[in-house]
This record gives sequence, C-alpha cells and structure tokens, in this order.
Amino acid sequence: EKEEVRLDFPPSHRRRLYLVLSLPSTFPDFSSVRKSSKLYSENPKFPMSIFEYNGSAVVAMVGKNCFAIASDRRLGVQLQTIATDFQRISKIHDRVFIGLSGLATDVQTLYQRLVFRHKLYQLREERDMKPETFASLVSAILYEKRFGPYLCQPVIAGLGDDNKPFICTMDSIGAKELAKDFVVSGTASESLYGACEAMYKPDMEAEELFETISQALLSSVDRDCLSGWGGHVYIVTPTEIKERILKGRMD
Amino acid sequence: MSRRYDSRTTIFSPEGRLYQVEYAMEAIGNAGSAIGILAKDGVVLVGEKKVTSKLLQTSSSMEKMYKIDDHVACAVAGIMSDANILINTARVQAQRYTFMYQEPMPVEQLVQSLCDTKQGYTQFGGLRPFGVSFLFAGWDKNHGFQLYMSDPSGNYGGWKAAAVGANNQAAQSILKQDYKDDATREEVVQLAIKVLSKTMDSTSLTAEKLELAEVYLTPSGSVKYHVHSPDSLTKLLVKHGVTQPAAETS
Repeated sequence: EKEEVRLDFPPSHRRRLYLVLSLPSTFPDFSSVRKSSKLYSENPKFPMSIFEYNGSAVVAMVGKNCFAIASDRRLGVQLQTIATDFQRISKIHDRVFIGLSGLATDVQTLYQRLVFRHKLYQLREERDMKPETFASLVSAILYEKRFGPYLCQPVIAGLGDDNKPFICTMDSIGAKELAKDFVVSGTASESLYGACEAMYKPDMEAEELFETISQALLSSVDRDCLSGWGGHVYIVTPTEIKERILKGRMD
Repeated sequence: MSRRYDSRTTIFSPEGRLYQVEYAMEAIGNAGSAIGILAKDGVVLVGEKKVTSKLLQTSSSMEKMYKIDDHVACAVAGIMSDANILINTARVQAQRYTFMYQEPMPVEQLVQSLCDTKQGYTQFGGLRPFGVSFLFAGWDKNHGFQLYMSDPSGNYGGWKAAAVGANNQAAQSILKQDYKDDATREEVVQLAIKVLSKTMDSTSLTAEKLELAEVYLTPSGSVKYHVHSPDSLTKLLVKHGVTQPAAETS
C-alpha cells in the first residue's frame, strides 16, 4: 500500500547557484540564454559528469529485523526536470530490493537484466535469491562491463534467511561495500552521508526507521539541485512491505 | 524399410521418412506417459512417474512437470537428460523475450521458438534429435489458456486434450470420447486421472506414481502454476474412486 506523508521542515536553505556564477557579465540578447545555460558544464573548472546528468539520491538503512530503502523522484536532463515520479527502487523479490542511482537509461536496463537473471535463478533453484548472493550477482554483471560500464551505482537491501537485514552499495564497476548501518549513492551522496551519520542509531523499529530515513533523505536532497521532488520510501519487515511517498520541497 | 538410411538424421529415406526422428519417437513411446487437458478456467497436466524406487530421495524437484516462466509450464515424456537441456533453452528464451519487450512471451511463440531449436537437429549439424515430447500449458492475454504438444521432429500443434509417452494412442482415444468443451478444472482433473488410471500399466494408482499440476488464474489476475502435494493427490484419487481409502488401523 502507498501513503503520502508530509514532513514538517525548517525553511529551505540557499541553493547552490552555479548557473549564476558562470553567466557572462554582459548579456547582449535573449537568444544567448539557451547557450549560456550550458556554460556551467563548458567551464573547465566544473566539467560535466555523466553520473550527474539525470540526478539521483538513494539511501538504505538497517533497523531491528527490518530495513528501509529510499530514493528521490526527480528525473532531469541536467538543469531541466523531465519527470517527478521516476522509479529508482525496484523489487527483486519480497525480501530483496535494489535502488539504482546514476544515468537513468542504465538504471532501467540494468534492472531489466537483473530481473532476467533472477527469474532464471528462481526457476532453476526453485527458491528466491539471498541478498548476499544477489549483491554478488550485481557486482559480477557490473564488472563484465569493466571497460564500458553501466553508469549507475546500485544500493542493495534485503532480509536474509534469519530475518537479519543486509545492505550494501557498489560503484559502477562492481566494488562492493558492505555496511552495518547505512549506505548512500547518487548526486546527493555527500549530504546523505552527513545526514545519515547524524541521524542514524542502531536497532530502530520500523516506524522510527521510516522517520529517520525520510528526514535524512529530504534534508539531503534539499541541498542538491539535481535531486528531489519528493521521496519514495520502502520499509520492509519480515511480515510486510510498506511503500510510502514523501512530499518535500517540490523543486 | 531401408537400414541404409538410419544412421544420419540429415538424410531422407526413399519413402520420404526421417528414420532418426521416428526412432526418437519410439524412445518416447517407452517413457512414462503424460496427459494435458484444457479446461474453461485453466489447463491440467498429469504425468506418470516411472522412477519409483524406495531409495529415491524425495525432494521437491519434479520428474515430469517443469515451470518455464510464470505463465507457462510443461510436462515431459522421453529422455530426461534431453528434456533438461530443452527446458533450460525454453526458460532462457522466455526471459530474453521479456527482457526485450518487457512483457511475458506469448505461449505459442515460446513453443514455436523451442520447436525451431528441435528442428535444427533434424536438418543440419549431424547431431541426433532430442528424444523428448512436450506438453506446454500456459496463459497469455491474447489467447487465454492454451495447450500445445510438440515432438522430436519439431512439429507442434494446439490441442484441447493430448497425451504423450507410453500408451498415448489409447489415452488419446479415451480422451476423444470423453472430452467435453468448457469443463471446469475439477471435472478435467477427474477426467485426467481417470484416463491415466486406465492406460497405466500398474494395477493400482497411488500418489507416488503421479504428478498433477494445474495452470489457472488467481482472483487478482495473475497466472498460477500449482503442483499438487502427495497428500492432496491421495485425497483426489480417493475422491474419484481410483484408489481405496487407507484402512484404519486400530
């Protein structure tokens, strides 16, 4: 089930104004506006990163016999917002979720390839994949493309056989990073690291975990112009999966 | 019958026959039988297990029924090792279609694609044909519930009721008489068990010798492939009068 939740927030902070910094001091006519909007990326001090083309924020946290995975909902093409309901987190099976940040086309294609592999695994083994196994699979698939990689950073979260939560993240060529508390990825990752470090505490129950991860996500994406437009949070316990939409600063 | 034309699959005999393909069908005629019947609200597959030693490890894995994808399952008759290869091929083909088109593969296309593989082994490469016949049961949104039978030659057909394996001729003739269109799944299960009990060599039918699977739609609209447990099978066999209920011991 889905729920829309509105969290109360302190007034927003100043946005990073890269565009203003790079505009020329003389502004002859309006036809050069379109050209000048690309000046940020043409500036050699700020080269465009393909990982920042669409904008994303994904975070996963461990709780007491449960986990939470959350992402923002913005899909952009550099500065322009194209969609405000982009799905970055997908279910592999009832106990394993994967959130992918980075280039949106690779997010979708990589997810489709993982569904392919997981379906075959399910048919042959007659059971679902454990989260650790799934993480190894993702890492292997990413490394296959070592010299022409998928431009995404996955965040994997799942419940093991004994209901012990498992989270991990990896870079775009499959270097796994396991963590006991939280993992982050995307353009807002630096802010997310700070917010999670400050707000996280171990062994939180599902409701408290939801509050924590939502506050961490929304405060971090507010500091990042490329991610935001609300949030999508999944709280997974051994008995249920609760999906909620967050309403934050819609910009 | 010219023995000279036996040894190569890729040669026609003067009478226009492919002997290797026919010999493959002979191999299947000795294997455990499988029957598939189409119902109004589902498809029922039932199979006779040939390997019933007490020493066999009873795990959840099946001998005759296999799931190909969420919406397609199959029953097998013939050489098991050949069947395993083809089932794996079918599974990968179904997933490749889903990856490409982001929707489940239509049942007939899956059957056709697998039969194209089988046909390859009758025309080129010099390899022998697969000694397996399949009964595919599935559902797709264009044609609803479907049942297909395919054989080593790569031929396939859509059927309302079909039988493969040992005594399939006898089973087909009984099915021709007793099959009714638009029967419910329960009636079809009863018919399938009845036909199998009549054509099987063993005198009494028990749950260990059978496998029964149904493909149907759940109320939420998704396709379910359900294999009956041995207990549920025993109950069904007693209900339809095929076996006597176990004697009560005091």
